Formats: sequence, structure tokens, C-alpha cells
Amino acid sequence: MQTPLHIDPQQAFNEVAAFQRKLAAGMQHLRGLGEQEYANTPREAVYREDKLTVWHMKGNTQPTAKVPTLIVYALVNTVWMTDLQDDRSLVRNLLAQGEDVYLIDWGYPDGADRWLTLDDYLNGYLDRCVDALRKRHGIDAINVLGICQGGTFSLCYTAMHPEKVKNLVTMVTPVDFQTPDNMLSQWVQSMDVDLFVDTLGNVPAELMNWVYLMLKPLRLNQQKYVGLVDILDNPAELKNFLRMERWIFDSPDQAGEAFRQFIKDFYQQNKLIKGDLQIGNQPVDLGMIGQPVLNIYAVQDHLVPPDASRSLKSHLGTDDYTELAFKGGHIGIYVSGRAQREVAPAIHQWLRERS
Amino acid sequence: MPDQANEFLKDYQAFAQQSWDAWMRYLQQQPGASVPFGFSPPPTPPANDFLTRSLANLQAYGSWLQQAAGAGATGQFGNWQQPAAMQPFLAAFNQPFAQTVAGLDSASAFGLDHQWQSWLQAMQRSGMGGMSGSGMGGMSMPSAMAAFGITREVQLDQQAMAAAMNEYAQINARYQTLLQQVNAQGIERMQELLKEHSEPGKQIESLKGLYDMWVDAMEDAYSKMALSGEYREVFGALVNAQMQVRKLQQQQTEQMCRELGIPTRSELDSLGKRVQQLRRDMQVRHQESPRADASEVDVLRAEIATLKRELAASKSTKTAAVRPIKSGDNDKHSTATPRAKAAGSASAKRK
Repeated sequence: MQTPLHIDPQQAFNEVAAFQRKLAAGMQHLRGLGEQEYANTPREAVYREDKLTVWHMKGNTQPTAKVPTLIVYALVNTVWMTDLQDDRSLVRNLLAQGEDVYLIDWGYPDGADRWLTLDDYLNGYLDRCVDALRKRHGIDAINVLGICQGGTFSLCYTAMHPEKVKNLVTMVTPVDFQTPDNMLSQWVQSMDVDLFVDTLGNVPAELMNWVYLMLKPLRLNQQKYVGLVDILDNPAELKNFLRMERWIFDSPDQAGEAFRQFIKDFYQQNKLIKGDLQIGNQPVDLGMIGQPVLNIYAVQDHLVPPDASRSLKSHLGTDDYTELAFKGGHIGIYVSGRAQREVAPAIHQWLRERS
Repeated sequence: MPDQANEFLKDYQAFAQQSWDAWMRYLQQQPGASVPFGFSPPPTPPANDFLTRSLANLQAYGSWLQQAAGAGATGQFGNWQQPAAMQPFLAAFNQPFAQTVAGLDSASAFGLDHQWQSWLQAMQRSGMGGMSGSGMGGMSMPSAMAAFGITREVQLDQQAMAAAMNEYAQINARYQTLLQQVNAQGIERMQELLKEHSEPGKQIESLKGLYDMWVDAMEDAYSKMALSGEYREVFGALVNAQMQVRKLQQQQTEQMCRELGIPTRSELDSLGKRVQQLRRDMQVRHQESPRADASEVDVLRAEIATLKRELAASKSTKTAAVRPIKSGDNDKHSTATPRAKAAGSASAKRK
């Protein structure tokens, strides 16, 4: 057996010196860079209510799809992950394929939104957004593309209002909230969520960020920034890094009541797959979903383990179920090079076959 | 070689210090130089400043690089199979992990330790600090002595707060113990990973490669711990204990606000809850109103349909009225409504 470390001392010193040199020079590159903008694909607000906006995203050409697709994002973080930068944008890629894309920007809840429940979000806000698009296009049903928690919301919504959804796409969506590898789920099982929400009211974004950082404390708090040193002298890469940092920490507070119900009913009691979930007074039965469903999950997802998403298959009422495994993580599914090549074309192809 | 290494390290340390000083000056300049109206905002707790913390982590990495390069230069890499010989070298890994997690913990607690200190100082000033006990940071805290007199309620509140703080401190200590176990298990995992790299062609040839392996090892150990039943129980208890402290803090603040005539959070919450319920009711009514309109239209349509039928009936009655009644004919026409009859007779009169 040989030594596993074959590090030449001189090379080690060179490595240390190079690190320090890059770090020292990096300050010059960081200075003046300021806040990095998202892709900001041209868009028009077509519906507003309270802090929520439905944006119609505009491509370079007219959409060829006859049925519009509404992107429903999670309440945590912002929807701009789907339109992060010019060359990393799910929205732009869908538009380029000919899809007619709308998205919901939930906004930033404050104290006035403390009492918003999941019923308010799903049978209120989301339902009115869908109605606005149905009316705008003069059609009975639209396509819904739900992402992460937004995917869970889309499933619940479709189960409660099946007549308004033509096709459903879910991306990195938790369905079984108690798979053994779900770290978030493990952590909230012993939590007194009533005490938590009664005390905090809305859940502060900083606290949510902390929880996400603690999923992989060294990778997300140190190794990532060690990697940053290597790109400090590359302005384009540096801007990409800073843009992603902006998105990661650009987190809305969570409306207290909705958070309480989401943790209790989904994480602690796993009601979505047990079949005893109620939103407002309406039962949510995934078996009611008879429309085509495309379920895309990420095989290296540390937030929503693949099994948590794959569970969907056995609970739906539809015969038209398609699963797509993406080789990447929870964020890479939107921003990686592979994602640009694979995800939007796959969604478009699937929708086109069902138009 | 060791002398050469020492020289290098001396120069390097001076260079590194200059660099970090420059970075910290850069950070301190960020908020802007002018302060309007001479108001000085409270200093941001370092734990809440992600950039500062990130740089602190980078600095920790830089320090480790330095130590690791020194260890390599003095030949310590050769003893990797002997845990005791490797311990000083691996111990250098502990520091960055401890710093990283400690920084995050502090952020999550929103400066609870600082609040505890402030609260204790306030207690001392109000003459209630003489009660003995031990709380966070080893400072004294009120014990559960019997409360009486005009300050009875206040004493009870303070005792409840002290008990909650103490509970939080104890659970936090358990949590820190678990994190220390992660450190130990991470080093064991590191040894396993090193073994896997002892084949020719698989050897690690850079400090960065070694660092990445250490991160893998620590994350593996952490993940295992974070998914365990014990961690789940302690983490939940930690959150609950912290919330209990905050709840009591809020109650004390509310009491103070009420005494000063300042609206409290409970009152605002109560108003917010009512407003939200009103909004829901309005939405329901708004959704129902088109249905109400529709049902009104339906009623009107039904009435028109009835009138049309009656009109048609009256026409047929009119016809019947002029039609001679034949023998054997049913008396169905004679059952025409009085209205139809009247219409028929009127019609007949007009004729």
C-alpha cells in the first residue's frame, strides 16, 4: 500500500501562494460589479392581486402553442430561477420552442399576509390566476407547470379543479414527504410548529436560508467560496456566481398560517399520499387527476430526494403518466448546461404530443 | 527543506495578513460613509453578515492550506496510516468545520446569547439579579424562589424566562455535542477515504484535492448524523426551546407596551386575522354574485316561458272559444283557466 497523498512540497507551496495571489487580486474584480441582474426576459403583467403578479413572458417570435402554460413556483425563493440569465433560462428555452409562457411571481409577504392559508393560496390566488388566463385565451383549461413546492401546489390544485387544467408538468416536486433520505422532513418531525408560528408569525427568510445552508454546511458555506477564488479573475463567471448568490438569498418570508399547514399536513403527517388532505373544505385526492402528467425529478436532488418525487406515479388517476430523470441537482435542473439542452425541449415535446 | 519552508511561511503569513486586512477594510467601507442625522444604527451582528462569514470561512481555508503545506514539507503526510501521528494534521480540519457551523448556529439563534446577556443586565439593574443560579454562559440567573408582593407577577415572568433560557442552554449543549461527534466521525471517514486513494494512480496530488476529500468526509458524517433519530429529536427540541424563550420575551414586551399605551403585536395579529377573514368573505360574495345574477335570469326566463305557455294556451282557448262544441267532444277546453276564459270572452267581445 502506498501513501494516498502524493503532494510535492514545492507544488503545495505554489498552490498556497496562488490561492493568496488570486484572493488579493480578486478584490479589484469584485469592486464595482454591484448587483447582478436576472435575465429579465421581456414580460407584461396580465394579472395582479395583493403582492402577486402574473407575468406573460415574451419571446422573439409569436408562440405556436395554442394552450398557454402557467409556471407555479414555490413560495420559498423567487420564480426568477426560471429566468436567471440570458443563457440559463428555462423560460427563454420554452419560448424558443414555441410555448406561450406565463408565470406567477408570489411577491414578498409581510405582516398583512400573516393569515394567508393554503386555501387562500390555492383556491384563492392560484385559482384566480388560472381563471384570468382561461378568460384571456377563451379556453376551458390551461397547462400548469409546477416547480418544487409549487409542483405540490399544482397537484393539489389540479385535484381540486381538474376541469381547469389540460396538462400538468411537475418539476422536482415532493409528493411523499417522509422518505428516509429527506433531511428537511427529519428535522421538522419533532418541531412544535404551532409554537413556532404562533411565536414568529411569518417565518423569516433568513431562518429559511439558514435551514437550507445547514443541509450541507461545509459545501454551501465554505467549499463554494473556495471555488469562488478560482473564478475571481473571470468577470463573466464571477457575475454568474454573484447572480446565483443574489437568487439564493433573495428569499421571501413565509406566510405563517400557510407555513403551519404545509409543515403539519405535508411534512409531519404526509397527508398528500395518505389521501386525507383537505385544503379549505375541499378534499385533495391525487386520484382525481386524470389529465396527462409529466413528472421531472433530479437524481442528485438534496432538497427533494428522487423517491419523494417518484412516489407520484402510484397515486395518480391518470393513465398518461411520464417520468423524466434529470442528471443533476435541485438547482442544476434550471441552470446547468445540460438543463438548457434537455429540459425545455422535453417539456415542449411532451406538451406538443398532447395539444 | 524545512528551513526553506519556514522562510516561505514567514513571508506568506505577512502577505496573507495584508491581504485579509485589505478585504476587511473593503467590507467595512460597504455601508457608506455618511450617517444621516448623526444616527448610528446598531452594529450588524457578524453572524448575520453572510459576506463576512463567507470570508471568514475562506480565511479558515487559507489557514488550513498554510498548515497543510507546512505538514507536507515536514514529511507528516508519510504517517497517514497512524491516527496518532495524523491527529495534529487532521486536527487542523476541525477548525474550519467548527467555525462554519458555529457561525450558522449563531445566525439561526438571531443573537439569542446577546439577548440573554442584555436581559440579565436589565435584571441586575432592576434589583432582581441577586437570585442565584446558572444560565447561558455561566452567568447567574434567578432561581425558582416563591414570588410574592407587588412585583409577584413580574418575578414569575422572570423565573419562567430564566427556566426557558436554561432549558435552551442545556439543549444547545446537547446539539453542540452532536456536532462534535460529527467532527470525530468525519475524521474516521477521512481515514477510510484516504485508504481508498492508496492505489497508484488514485493518489491525491494537490492540497485542494485533499481539502475536497475532507469536505466529502465531513459531509458524509454530517449527513449520517443529521438523518439520525437522535439528531431529529435534539434539533426539534432546540427549535422548540428557542421558540419558548422568544414567546416569553414577546409576552414581556407586550406587557411593557400595554403599560405605555403602545399597540401590541397580539392586537395587530388579531386585526390582521379579522381583515383576512373579511377578505375571504368578500371573495366568496364576489364569486356568488354572478351566480345570483344567473339564478335571477333563470327565474325571469322561467317566468317568460310560463307566460308564453299561457299565451299559447290562451290562443288555443280563443280558438276553442269560437269552435263549436260538438257532442261527444271532451270537455278539455272547458277546463281552461278562468284567465283564459276571460281572455277568450274578451276576444270574442272584440270580435
